[in-house]
Formats: sequence, structure tokens, C-alpha cells
Amino acid sequence: MSRADVDTAASGRRTRRPDGPRPRRGWTARRREVAAGYLFVAPQLLGTVLFVLVPLALVFWYSFHEWNVLVGSFEFTGAANYERLASDPALPGVLGATATFSVGLVVLNLSLALALAVLLNQKLRGTIVFRTLFFSPVAVTLVAWTIVWRFLLQDDGGVNGLLTALGTEGPNWLRRETTAMIAVIVVQVLKNVGLNMVLFLAALQGVPQELYEASMLDGAGRWTRFRRVTVPMISPTILLTSIITVVGSLQVFAQIDVLTSGGPGTSTTVLVYYLYQNAFQFHDFGYGATLSVLLFAIVLVLTVVQWQMRRKWVVHED
Amino acid sequence: MKTDRSRRAKLALYGLLCLLAVPFVFPTWWMVTSSLKPANEIFAFPPSLFPSDPSLAAYGRVFEFAPFAQQYFNSMYIAAVVTVGTLAVSSLAGYAFARIRFPGHNALFLVILVGLLIPSEVTIVPLFQMFNAWGLIDTHWPLLLVPIFGAPSVLATLIMRQFFIALPVEIEEAGRMDGLGRFALYARIALPLSRPALGAVAIFSFLHSWNLYLEPVVFLSTPEKFTLPQALTQFVDAYGGPMWDVQLSAATMSALPVLIVFVVAQRQFVEGLAHTGIKG
Amino acid sequence: MRITRRTMVAAAAASPLALASCGGESGDDGPVTLRMTIWSANEDHLALLDGIADDYLADHPEVEAIEFDPLPFEGYTSTLTTQIAGDNAPDLAWILENSAPDFVTTGALAPLGDKLSGTDGYELDDLVPAATDLWRHEDELYAYPFSTSPFAMFVNTDLLAQVGQPTASELIASGEWTWERAVEAGAAVGAQTDADGIVIRDFDYAGWDNLSTLWTGWDARPWSEDGTECGFAEPEMVEALGFMHEAVFEHQAMPGPGTTADFFAGEAAMTVTQISRAGLLEDGSFAWELVPLPAGPAGEYSVIGQAGIGVLAVAPHPEHAADFLAFMTGPENSEKLAQFFPPPRQSQLTAEVLGQANPLLSDEQLQAVVIDRIDDGVVKPSHTGQAQIDQAVRAALDPLWTPDADVEGVLTEVCAAIDPFLAQ
Repeated sequence: MSRADVDTAASGRRTRRPDGPRPRRGWTARRREVAAGYLFVAPQLLGTVLFVLVPLALVFWYSFHEWNVLVGSFEFTGAANYERLASDPALPGVLGATATFSVGLVVLNLSLALALAVLLNQKLRGTIVFRTLFFSPVAVTLVAWTIVWRFLLQDDGGVNGLLTALGTEGPNWLRRETTAMIAVIVVQVLKNVGLNMVLFLAALQGVPQELYEASMLDGAGRWTRFRRVTVPMISPTILLTSIITVVGSLQVFAQIDVLTSGGPGTSTTVLVYYLYQNAFQFHDFGYGATLSVLLFAIVLVLTVVQWQMRRKWVVHED
Repeated sequence: MKTDRSRRAKLALYGLLCLLAVPFVFPTWWMVTSSLKPANEIFAFPPSLFPSDPSLAAYGRVFEFAPFAQQYFNSMYIAAVVTVGTLAVSSLAGYAFARIRFPGHNALFLVILVGLLIPSEVTIVPLFQMFNAWGLIDTHWPLLLVPIFGAPSVLATLIMRQFFIALPVEIEEAGRMDGLGRFALYARIALPLSRPALGAVAIFSFLHSWNLYLEPVVFLSTPEKFTLPQALTQFVDAYGGPMWDVQLSAATMSALPVLIVFVVAQRQFVEGLAHTGIKG
Repeated sequence: MRITRRTMVAAAAASPLALASCGGESGDDGPVTLRMTIWSANEDHLALLDGIADDYLADHPEVEAIEFDPLPFEGYTSTLTTQIAGDNAPDLAWILENSAPDFVTTGALAPLGDKLSGTDGYELDDLVPAATDLWRHEDELYAYPFSTSPFAMFVNTDLLAQVGQPTASELIASGEWTWERAVEAGAAVGAQTDADGIVIRDFDYAGWDNLSTLWTGWDARPWSEDGTECGFAEPEMVEALGFMHEAVFEHQAMPGPGTTADFFAGEAAMTVTQISRAGLLEDGSFAWELVPLPAGPAGEYSVIGQAGIGVLAVAPHPEHAADFLAFMTGPENSEKLAQFFPPPRQSQLTAEVLGQANPLLSDEQLQAVVIDRIDDGVVKPSHTGQAQIDQAVRAALDPLWTPDADVEGVLTEVCAAIDPFLAQ
């Protein structure tokens, strides 16, 4: 279509009367609009079908099979893998560890990111230096970062050396169930909190100054201002970061592999690690696929819940 | 009186920030300084803050043991292509989902969101089979196509959609009056305004590609095609034991460009984001 | 049924892109390319392998090229199985000792016996039986143990002299080279110097199969010969691990969990490891010696570590692969491989051949530690479903590594954890 067509289409729409018959040109514009919509999303949609949905369907299909790669067996076994899932004695522990890890990670990550962003949002010399420092772990290769921390967290490593210098004695971090979980969470938070911090920082700088001034006139204290003004204004960013962080927390694998290999005992064996063990270490791809389906279901439910909640507390969603 | 108090508050704030920064900075510091130490000094206890006899020898060995320059280039160009590709794909899709009303746009958006939910461990086996069927194993195609079109770009699309939703519709009204089509509205009006969101997307997708580990290990087998994170694990002695000094030198070199980019670009990045703000 | 899966994937892969090219394996008409996965990225190793491959290619026009694929040692088996699952299996692969039963007993590897015995000048009988046990299943050989390396004790004699302890060779001379005495010496070093005592290398309180270098001296074993009965709760094992627990927590003769001490950097008095690690002592900042493992209550013993090479059953070109394997592991090339990997061939287990690989070791050391010990060597424990058992034992053993652990109680728990797998 030519430019002129669009012009008349647009003007036709503007002069349209609500009760008049639908002008044919307007209908065409509507159709072009729809076509543009489909064209715009087509690359992403095709990619999703090809690289997400098809593999996912295959995984779902595998989950109804006994598939041992080494034996070369691949047999349809119906719901056998799901029955095994339901009665897997290790699963409650794995789900418990997953919940502890994810909750710990999300709470610590979001609150630390927000706290850092608030601290660095002040008019202060040197904030740029600090921003860079807090962001720097993001740039370090994940595996290198984790290996360094494994060394620092050893019984005679840097962390305990520091604690000794301060006059207290640290535990054998990676060797005790509680401290190992704490260590895994903290190391992961330190690695990635910089990204969320930057997003929060950006959101904070977008809060109109007048709102603060208004609430100051109302005699609100710092905390009240933060709760009444800041949090609602940046709630869209809170939603975005919390979705990213929750989903990300359920996908943490390499860090756990390097730091604790799921131990001590099975205390840090989270679902994605258990999945990896079954599929890639125990060569049991069928059961691995079943665990994948479970993991997918959990992430799906959590995200839908968060997405629904947005209407409740996110202020300017459409 | 007042200045005194605020100065004290300022000092306390600096103290707090410095203290908080220690766990963020020390590991990197240790990585960089250890790469300058001889291998047997690296794990000495207590860990030393400075190398007693700094040497760049390990850096030279990085290039001796592997086609490291080639691998560096691989990571660079893959991350660059992925970043540009993701920007194009996600800004188009994000714009459409935010602005254009077409039948099923909500349902399609939910379909695409599924990609956000899937850890790469879940789909790696079927993806490997598919790329194998296409004869694309041991090529860079899987590392380019999957991030640009698949799960990793969904986050980018989400960010772009949220940004475009917050962009006032009135801005486009003028262009509409001038008779611009949808693509022109997107390319000439919306896109130039969305620089901050594009910046966020660029950083996310660059880092994601830069740090990718499982996929290259699975898809690539020729050392000349390796990417950096994968190459880091290859610096081992004849018995499979890691050569720490060489690994740490390589790790340091792999972290530097990202750090430099952030140092240079962070002000524009943060302030750019702030001007319009990623509205949820 | 494999075909169903392949078809399904092919359909899934093809439908969105109608022009999906390539695919289908071409027949065996043209020259083939063989691919072999290895876990060493070491340049010298690759040069040696490429050299052998070039010799082979010169006489075999039907093979176009032989590629060696170094995969990261961490996760080697996982990456290999991913390739197999993705219908992209290599032709040949190095197999780690601890996954040997999984590969050997499941049909993942092609049988080699006929090929090797039918190859002129191969001298299959030359292979030491103790070395091939792990790689046999029901009288058929499935892989060639290209590296068969006994565990031994490296001793830092400087450190022992510093604390006034006799060296290991002095103890051997007086017939006192026992774990008891070794721990005594280790405790002295641990107490009087900055260094640690004895390190069982690669154990790190996770790789428990390395502890077989200790418990075999007590005649303990993790499970019965036929693999059905758990052996962790047997008196020998309780005594052996009880001894170790005391050595760690009471005598401080071994570094505790979460402490690293590298013998080769001079941070420990003794270490149990394979002789090939002698290369790490090249820089030689301290005086050292290499001796056989100390005797346990059950007498003298030896443990060997292995790595095998096999032809995948689902390899694209299994016949060519087997032919190349026979070429690569025949007497002539085996001697070349011996530069880095102690060979399993009786005729090559001489101080002379081994000496070229380990120039730092004397003929006497090689004789005492390798040649005299390889015949009766016990391989490290392995079992079908090793990965699961490995994981279960590791998790169940963790409580043992605390100062006030109830050794017998923990070991009973270990048995409870692995019984279901042993019963399979």
C-alpha cells in the first residue's frame, strides 16, 4: 500500500461518526494493524515454538519413557516415571532445600539490592565508584567467582581467617548443613545483586522529586516516605526484578555443583541439581525429563501467581 | 552544628559502604592478584593480599596452551551478534505486545513467557538432538540462534514490553497524523525513545551470552570454536589438575572487557534508565 | 524403539523448517572420519595421539581423518552421554574408571575380543589380567586399559627430618612401614610445622573411592565380590575408617574437611597418589622419595587406578574404530603411550619403559612401586550404577567427618543408603 492510502485511512478514522456505517478504508487500516502485530512478534514467536515449545514437548514425551542412554533402552512406560516421582524418598528433601534456597535467595537479593540502591541514590561523592564495585561481580565469569569463594570458605580459608583476626571463630562453612545453605545463597546473591541494584537505582531516579516534597510537607518521616512514596512508585520494577530473581533462583546449578555438589548429605541438593544428577550422572533421561516437567510446573505456577498479584500492588500497570 | 552532624552521617555512610563492598571486591581482587603469583603461592594460607613477586608469566602461557585469542574473538563476536539480534527481535515483539491490538495478543504473550520459565538443563537434550538433525553440531549456530530467538530473549521482550507500555501514547499521535505506518512509528519514534530500555536489554543479553557455559560445552568440540568460559576449564595439567595461575589469568582477561564497559557506560546506563524508568 | 525417538526428533526438527538440510548418515562408501573423545587437553598428549593417528592414516585410505575431542574433565561422562543421547556419539572414547561398569556391563561399548585377538602381532595375552578385570564382562573385553597406574606414597623427607622422624625408606628397611607409623610421623609434622601430615589426594572428603588406598590394607571392601552385599558396616571397614577418623580428628595427622594441602607445593609430609604425578615435582623445591603404600593390619597391598578406551556400540563407524583401536594399543604404540600412561602389557612393565615416562623416578622405585605391585593390584571400587551409589555413599558418609561421629552408626547408615542400589 502507498503512503496515500494510509493517509486517507487515518483521516477516515478521524472523521468517522460512531453511528455511521463502518468505512471500508478504516477496516483495511485495522487489518494492516493486525498484520503488523503478527509480523512484529513473528521472529520471537517462531523462535519460541522452535527452541522452547518443541523441546519442551519432547521432554514431556520423554517423561513417559524409560530411557537409559548407556543401555540404549527407550521404552514407553506410561506413567511409571510419575509414579516413581510420587514415591521418590529423596524428593521431599529436595523440594525442601529448593524452597529454602529460593526463598532465602529472593529475600536477600531483593532487600540487599534495594538497600544498596537507596544508599547509592543519595547525593554523595564517589557513588559511581561504589556502584561499579557492587556491580563488578556480575562481570566475573560465574565459574571463576564460585571457585574463588570455595577457597575463601574453606575451614582455613579467607573468611575464617578474617573472623579469627576479629577475635571469633567461624564454622566450617561448606561442611555443615545450615551454613552450607547460607554460604551457597550468599555467594549467589553477591554475584548477581548488582544487576537488580542497577534496575532499582534507575527506578528510584525516576521517582518525581515533588512527591517526596509533598509528603515531607505532610510531616512524613524517612521510613514512611519510603513506604508510602518510594515503594509504590517503583513497584513495577520490584515486580520485574522479583520475577527474574524467583525464576533465576530455581535455575541455579553450576554454583551448587562447584561449592557443595549438593552436600553435605543432600542438604543443598535443589531440584535443578537433582534433575541434572538423574539425567546426566545417572544416565536416566526418562526420570530426568519427569523432574524437568515438575520443575517447569513449579516455575509456571509461581510466575502466574506473581503476574496475577501485579494488579493488586503494582501501581501503574495498564 | 548541623554540618557537623551531617558530616558524621556521611562518614558513617562511607564506612558502611566500604564494609559492604568487601565481599564484592575481595574475590575479584584475589583473582587478579593471584594470577600474578606463582602457582604454589596461590593457595597459601593465610591468603596474601599482594603477590610477593608479581609476574605476567601465566598470561603468556594462556596463549601457549590454547588458541586463546581465537576463543576470545569467538566469545566477543557471538556476544555482539546475540546482543544486536536480541535487541531487534525483542524490541519488535515488545513493541507489538505493548502497542498493537491484534487477536490473541494476550495469549501469544503468555505463550512466549513460557520461555522465561525454562532452565537450560531442561531442554538441552532435545535441542542437541534437533541441531544434530540439522547438521549444526560443532558450529556457533546454536549459540547464536537459541539466545536470539529462544528462551533467553524472552526476558528482553518482557523488559521492552513494559517499557513501551509506560511510553505515553500521545508521543506517537503526531507521527500517526503524519501518516506513518506501524513500522515507521516503531522505528522512527518509539525506538529512539527507548534507548535506556535497549541499554538494559543489551547488558542482559551480552552478559548472558558471555557467561554461557553448559551450551558451548555440549554443542562445541573443536578448541578453535570454543568460547571463554569453556576455554577456562581447559587449562589443566597432564593429570587433569587445574593450572590455577593460568586459569586465573584467563579468567581475569575474560572479566576485564565487561568491567571496562560498565565503568565507561554505567552513568549513561543508569541515568538513561532513570529518565523514563522501566515501568515494571 | 530408538528409531521412534529419532523419527520423532527429526519430525520435530524438520517441520518448522521445511528446508532442513543434511541429516541422514551417509553409507560406508566414502572415506570415513573417526572421532574420539578424551579428557586431556594437554598439548603433549594431543601431539602423541595425532602422531599415532597420522601413522594409521598413511596406511588406511578408507579413513580420511581422526579427530580427538578434548572434553572438560569435570563433567566428562555427562558430556559424553549427552552426545550419545543426542545421536551424536563419538566412535571411540576414553572411559573413566568409576564409570567403567556402567559402560562395560550395559552394552554401551562394542566387544573387542575378536578384533584384538585377530590382529596380527597384537599379543592380547600380554595384557596383565589384574589390569583388564574391570573392563571385562562375561568373559568379553570391552575396553583397553590404556592407563594402569598404581597408587603409591610420596614422602617429603625434608619435613620428616625437620621433626626428627625416620624416612619411609628407613622404616621399610626396618620392616616398620605401616599406616600406624605413617600416621605417627604425619601427626608429628602436623603438630610441629605449618605443614599438614598425610593427604589422600583427590579425596577432599567427597571422592570416597580414593579411600580404598587405605582400607584395602585392612582387607575392607565397600561391597562383596559379586556386588550384592554392602561391606561398609563390616568390622574391617569400621576399623579402617575408625583408624582414619582418629588420624584426622585425634592425631591431626591428616588435614580435616575443608582444608587443602598440596603435597607438591610442599604443604604436606606425605601424599597417596598415582606415580604419574611425579611430573609435578620437576621444580623440586624439597627432597622427596616414592615408596609403596604402607602396610595395614592385613599386610601389604596395592591399589591401581585405571582409564580405558573403548568403541561405542552406537558409533557411526564401529568397525573402523575397532581397527584403529587395535592399531593404537598394539605393542609398538603402547610403548609410545607409555610415555604418559603406564601400560597394561606385561612385557612393557619394565623399569626401562616406565623410566622414559617418569624420568624423575629411579629404576628401584619403579620396580618396587609399579612392577612388583601391578599383578596383585586391587582396582578402585566400582559397581553398575556407580554414579548413584557414589552420590549415595558421599551423602551418607558426610556425618562421619565430624570430631564426635559414631563411626559404626554412620557406616550402618551408608549401607542402608546403598542397599537398594546393590540389590538391583
